[in-house]
Amino acid sequence: MDLDKLLKIGEECIHQEPPACTAICPIHMDIIGFIGEIEKGNFKKAYKLMEKKIPFHRIIGQICDHPCEKVCIRNKTGESINISELEKAVLAYGYVKPKKVWPIPKKKEKVAVIGGGLSALTVAMDLDKKGYQVTIFEKTNRIGGRLWDFVGGLLSEKELVEELDSFKKKEIKIEYQNFVNQEILVDFLKTYDAVYLGTGSWEEAITCDSLTFQVDDSSLFIGGQIANGNDSIIQSVSSARFAAMSMDRYISKVAIRDSRDRQGSFETLINQEIRSDKNVKRIEKNEKNYTQEEAIQEAKRCLKCQCKKCVDACSHLKKYETSPDAYIRQINHNERIILGTHYANEMINSCTLCGLCKEECFKDISLKDVIQETRESMVERGKMPLSAHDFALKDMAFSNSKQFSMVRKQPSKEESKDLFYYPLVSFSKYVQGLYKGTGKTDYLFYPGCQLPASFPDDIGEIYQYLVGHVKGDVGIYLGCCGAPADWAGQKQLMDESINKIKKVWEEMEFPTFILACSSCKRVFEKYCPEIQTISLWEIYEKEGLPKIKRIKQSKVLAIHDACGTRENNEIHESVRKIAKNLGYTLEEFEYNKNKTKCCGYGGLVYYANRDQANDFILDRTTETENDILVYCAMCKNLFVSGGKRTYHLLDLIYPKEGQDNGLKKMPSLSDRHHNRSKVKQGLLKEIWNEQQKEEEEPLYPLIISEDIVQKMDDRYILKEDIQQVINNAQESKKRFYNSEDDSFLASLRIDNVTYWVSYDERDGCIFLKNVYSHRMEIVEE
Amino acid sequence: MNQENNSNPWICDLCQVPIKLAKVKVKYLDGNFEVELMQCPLCHQVFIDEALALGKMVEVEKGLEDK
Repeated sequence: MDLDKLLKIGEECIHQEPPACTAICPIHMDIIGFIGEIEKGNFKKAYKLMEKKIPFHRIIGQICDHPCEKVCIRNKTGESINISELEKAVLAYGYVKPKKVWPIPKKKEKVAVIGGGLSALTVAMDLDKKGYQVTIFEKTNRIGGRLWDFVGGLLSEKELVEELDSFKKKEIKIEYQNFVNQEILVDFLKTYDAVYLGTGSWEEAITCDSLTFQVDDSSLFIGGQIANGNDSIIQSVSSARFAAMSMDRYISKVAIRDSRDRQGSFETLINQEIRSDKNVKRIEKNEKNYTQEEAIQEAKRCLKCQCKKCVDACSHLKKYETSPDAYIRQINHNERIILGTHYANEMINSCTLCGLCKEECFKDISLKDVIQETRESMVERGKMPLSAHDFALKDMAFSNSKQFSMVRKQPSKEESKDLFYYPLVSFSKYVQGLYKGTGKTDYLFYPGCQLPASFPDDIGEIYQYLVGHVKGDVGIYLGCCGAPADWAGQKQLMDESINKIKKVWEEMEFPTFILACSSCKRVFEKYCPEIQTISLWEIYEKEGLPKIKRIKQSKVLAIHDACGTRENNEIHESVRKIAKNLGYTLEEFEYNKNKTKCCGYGGLVYYANRDQANDFILDRTTETENDILVYCAMCKNLFVSGGKRTYHLLDLIYPKEGQDNGLKKMPSLSDRHHNRSKVKQGLLKEIWNEQQKEEEEPLYPLIISEDIVQKMDDRYILKEDIQQVINNAQESKKRFYNSEDDSFLASLRIDNVTYWVSYDERDGCIFLKNVYSHRMEIVEE
Repeated sequence: MNQENNSNPWICDLCQVPIKLAKVKVKYLDGNFEVELMQCPLCHQVFIDEALALGKMVEVEKGLEDK
């Protein structure tokens, strides 16, 4: 994995970008932090933030021109946050006596500051703090400059005098009534190590560097109105602060321009949207200042602008309280560990790889792609935790074994000739389709693995529908597309799986695949785009629904799009048309179509981190009061497991009499295996007239209660595994016996897991009491 | 990963003898350990209960998987 490239992607993420207000503030006051403290009623903490960032904060807090308010995103729908009044409120309610700071020992370098106004005082204060010997040259008999103009308006005389008196207590020399002209300035440049000119105006035009505020390469620095060309209070302060920084660097002979990007005002990159229109109006004050309660209410209007649309949309990023920038740093760390614990493994395996993050990101950062690549790298380096995906990969192997996988051409005319008699040939679309057969497979129905596992009774009907409605021969191909291998980062396994599919496609002379599963669709587009595909839903929409008696419905259903169809708008439209044709009214989710959410199954999260999958289920199912309509078998499986009434489109197209399909419990993991085998055998028997071996009755029939079935699913234990344990124990008697309740406990290592079963033996049947497993191997000697 | 010895009602069904604590080798991935587990003193089959399998064993497995 190219970690440098990875880190570059991480740097693209602007989750940490400051909001518009902080960015435009030339001294970058942490306004969200400040407002957050007010919201909590912590006026003292808010005051501390002002004190830390703003020079002469008790003055500036009252007279600042607040460029922050002009860029506040709230302006778009009403009025900006009243930051100026909030600052005044904090000064009134949060004042904390300043801590006594011990002055640091003075350096030998001397600095002259010309002028006694706001910018000059700021430079003097900053450089005094750094230990320079500072002398102020003020032409009048008082310092403060134009600050005095605010007295009687925004400032009281008492407040200004207090602030200036406290300034005078510093070890800064002030020379009053000391007028400096050009001639004296030239002299100063020779006698002082650096000179600051902050007089508001000057006898000669003078320009400086806009980053360093240095005049040419000299020891002269300027700030305030002569540098800015305007009377902004906050720019006066900021230019002084930047000039002081340059003077310090100039005197200490360090690189004066380094690490100063984004100094001063800039535009934020955040593209904030306003989703709710609440709190549009400003809170009005009734006295000179906001009351504390009014300030708290006004603070609550703040939207806390931050680029986090991906986080807001994703249960995974929320669970791990992270964002793409931090996530990528964690991956980078995880990838570089040589000795030690890979703490990020669990997180990396808890992403559903649904791709919503990219849809939400205006910079197109795809955490999904990053995590996919990370999983592939983990597999390659042998660092992928075995238990995360083992069950799913074994399930995939089952689907691609003889137990389920098969390929058949449409039954030939010769084979079907028994069906070609009146009235069948005139009334059955299926028989008509067989009658028109050409022997060339134009379409191959590929229902995937989870659809036949969930809807075993419908696969044959769908196949017959397709033969009767699609122009050209329709064959069938049962198997798994490899999505589990893709999600697990198993590149090699994925390639093998895809090559197998391609081989069938070539042997069948390049038919169009009819896909019914959205994950298959995604896999085909990613790994074999040369194979033409069409979704089953598009065919239903185009060719019309099968003529089946259905009770007319007028229900409202919330339509949940499968994340695998994110890029396929045609499928979204087809599904909606089908449901509307059937009489349903559809409710749209806020996150729908290309911005749909994952149900929690994607990325094998269901197997790797069940808690995380449950978060996804809960997040989606609580977004609507209505029942949900889905068209992916696993979406239905997960939503129903979360107690939400959910219909699959097939429930509506092929309704089962006397059943409420909405809450129908989906098959257990064991039944999913069984159903797939049943589908294969059923099709071969009914459609291809191939006689199937009858299933053998087990020697030791298992009686399994509902509780145990649930336990087996939660612990990824299959009935066939248990059957093996029991067969082995009953034959070998290698087991433990508990005389207290007359039960047995037996175990068997199958592949890389040891399964344990406790059971009673009664009337020739095995009653299961408990099942569990572990991966650790016992070396019996 | 030790198991309690007191009042264990299980006996080895094959050998019909009580099981006893004994040093047993276990392994997973690159980890090899010797731990005390309940075992049949004759046929050496090892007894693992649910609490051990789903508690300490899973913990150690996960720890090794993340190494």
